[in-house]
Amino acid sequence: MTASMSGAPLLAAENLIKTYGGAPALAGVSLTVRPGESLAVMGASGSGKTTLLHCLAGIIPPDAGRVRLFRDTAPPLEVTALNDDARSALRRREFGFVFQQGLLIPELTAGENVALALMLDGTPRPQAEQAAANALADLGLAGMAERRIGELSGGQAQRVAIARAQVTGARMLFADEPTGALDSRTSAEVMERLLRTVQGTGRALVVVTHDSEVARWCGRIITLADGVVVADTSGAAGIRR
Amino acid sequence: MTAMASALIRAVDSSPLAVPLRITWLLNRPGTAGRTAALLPAASFAVVTTLLLTVLAGSLSFLQWGDEEGDLYLLLAGFALILLVLPLITLGGSAARLAARRRDEHLSTLRLLGASAATVRRVTVLEAGAQALAGALAGVAGYVVLAPFVQLIHFRGAPLGAAYWLNPGAGTATVAAVVLLAAVSSAVGLRRVTVSPLGVRTRAKAQKVHWSRAGIAVAVLGLCVLALVIPGAGAALGLMIIFGVFAAGMSVLNLAGPWLVGVSARRRLKRAQTPQALLAARIVLDSPKAAWRQVSALSMVCFTAVIAGAGAAALQGAQAEGPEDFLLQDIMTGVFITVIAGFLMVACSAGINQAATVLDRAELYRSLAKTGMPREVIDAARIGAVMQPVLLVSLVSCAVPAVLLFPIIGAALLFAPVTMIFLAVSVAAGVVLVRAGLAATGPVLTGVLDTGSGAGGKTQLPLH
Repeated sequence: MTASMSGAPLLAAENLIKTYGGAPALAGVSLTVRPGESLAVMGASGSGKTTLLHCLAGIIPPDAGRVRLFRDTAPPLEVTALNDDARSALRRREFGFVFQQGLLIPELTAGENVALALMLDGTPRPQAEQAAANALADLGLAGMAERRIGELSGGQAQRVAIARAQVTGARMLFADEPTGALDSRTSAEVMERLLRTVQGTGRALVVVTHDSEVARWCGRIITLADGVVVADTSGAAGIRR
Repeated sequence: MTAMASALIRAVDSSPLAVPLRITWLLNRPGTAGRTAALLPAASFAVVTTLLLTVLAGSLSFLQWGDEEGDLYLLLAGFALILLVLPLITLGGSAARLAARRRDEHLSTLRLLGASAATVRRVTVLEAGAQALAGALAGVAGYVVLAPFVQLIHFRGAPLGAAYWLNPGAGTATVAAVVLLAAVSSAVGLRRVTVSPLGVRTRAKAQKVHWSRAGIAVAVLGLCVLALVIPGAGAALGLMIIFGVFAAGMSVLNLAGPWLVGVSARRRLKRAQTPQALLAARIVLDSPKAAWRQVSALSMVCFTAVIAGAGAAALQGAQAEGPEDFLLQDIMTGVFITVIAGFLMVACSAGINQAATVLDRAELYRSLAKTGMPREVIDAARIGAVMQPVLLVSLVSCAVPAVLLFPIIGAALLFAPVTMIFLAVSVAAGVVLVRAGLAATGPVLTGVLDTGSGAGGKTQLPLH
């Protein structure tokens, strides 16, 4: 059963294979992510879900298979054919990341954490800080740009991480257990904010989670077992749609 | 022999140390995880011991002469040793802090399992002592390896030679002192944290350094200048004034140091236009006192190097050739050795602190690399956060005595410019040495970033 959206793809993976010390982490995974889509990747520990996210985002190259990023004004870019530096640059410009517990830089303020994503690509600091303040305000954190990370709640810190992921205008957002350290109410709030950054913006979201409640927020859920996709279904957002 | 061993085991089993000893062995026996992290403090204690033994041996070698001039050499060597105590304590403290930080996780787990606070304290001190002992024994080997080179250094016109060898008693006492330093640093370090079953420590707000430090420093500086202009002072008073100037200058630097480091970082933060500049300034501002503490030993070394170096150079340049030439020349040799040894210790402690920081922040650094932050930016930020205070401290610590004793510095520049240039070059070489110490931790960062992209790629390390 497949629940893919129709239309041009944003990211496509074909027959991804990755092994660690002889043990297969991915054993031929193919999938397509389309603009506006939210995709949850579920599976037990060791099923290959984080490895899949790493391969899709160009963090690690697969042993075989390819990942292509489709862009409006340029031919498709084969992520898996790029060298390490080019993949780093691609992640800065085209992808956004949200990790468990945010993993923000504790010495920087919330605004600086977000602005840093733009400064890394050469945006002058005043413009970067202004864009960061706007992104934080969009996520309900107006006036908190000067706060240090330790002064924020878990949910607020995760919203700063979301702002950091989307401030560069990245079209693909990846989230690895984004609610792993949060209570259920804050988890729901963070997932709502994450999905809001995707809906009607042309972006797409891939969320790795082991929590079926979190996965249900997404439009589509794929389940991995032993490195292969064993289920591809609609989530609550998909059903609503 | 077997009976003695059995009796010893029974005695230990019935002592309050029995449980901490068993836990310490369980956590540190060969094959347990985290041995790389345990290796770092042990390696730093090895460096501490090698430097301590080498400097001590060099100083005690002056006992070979037994004449009046030899006593003067001993006095000066004792002064150099005192100067090196602070960098040594800083280095020992860094090693102990690293050891304690690496234990954070299993200490809180022990508390969770029901171990008392006293047991946790004993385990910590025992572990630090054991690591220091292993490091100190390796340090003795380092002292032996360095011997052929140090024995070539000339004092009073002859190489140190066989007089360099310490007697076994002094060597054993040094090893014991290093172990004690580790244990005390570890116990003191634990007093600053609360080991609870839920974790070890959290800190949210940046430390601030009050401007009053600068005010007190200016007042001390003023009193010092007043003391210098008192006319008709005798020789004893002159000596007291020199020591007074030294003590006052040091207190000025220590009072104003953290404040200056903070002000300088705030200025850099305002001007920062690149991610690495922003990060480096923020890391320093997070704790100006910690940034100062890491490099404060340099202030004493630079401060003394300028006073002693310039004094000897001025006298050397002003007087005709004679037997005192050896003394003045040897003072200069001692100054250069002290400067390099001091910088070497600071380089070691900066390197150790950086290695500890990289390991502690492994998960954060990995996440930054995943988002596309180039490794060079992470590297430049962490190195800049140490080098900026190093440069500031070196400059200020050379400038303060230059202002306090400007007539002597002027005379030295006039009569012995080459010696003064050599002095400046050795301070610059010291700064390069610290930079090299930081560069040596590059592989630790590479290792951390490389391990993050494996299956799962998750490790739960504390961010602080």
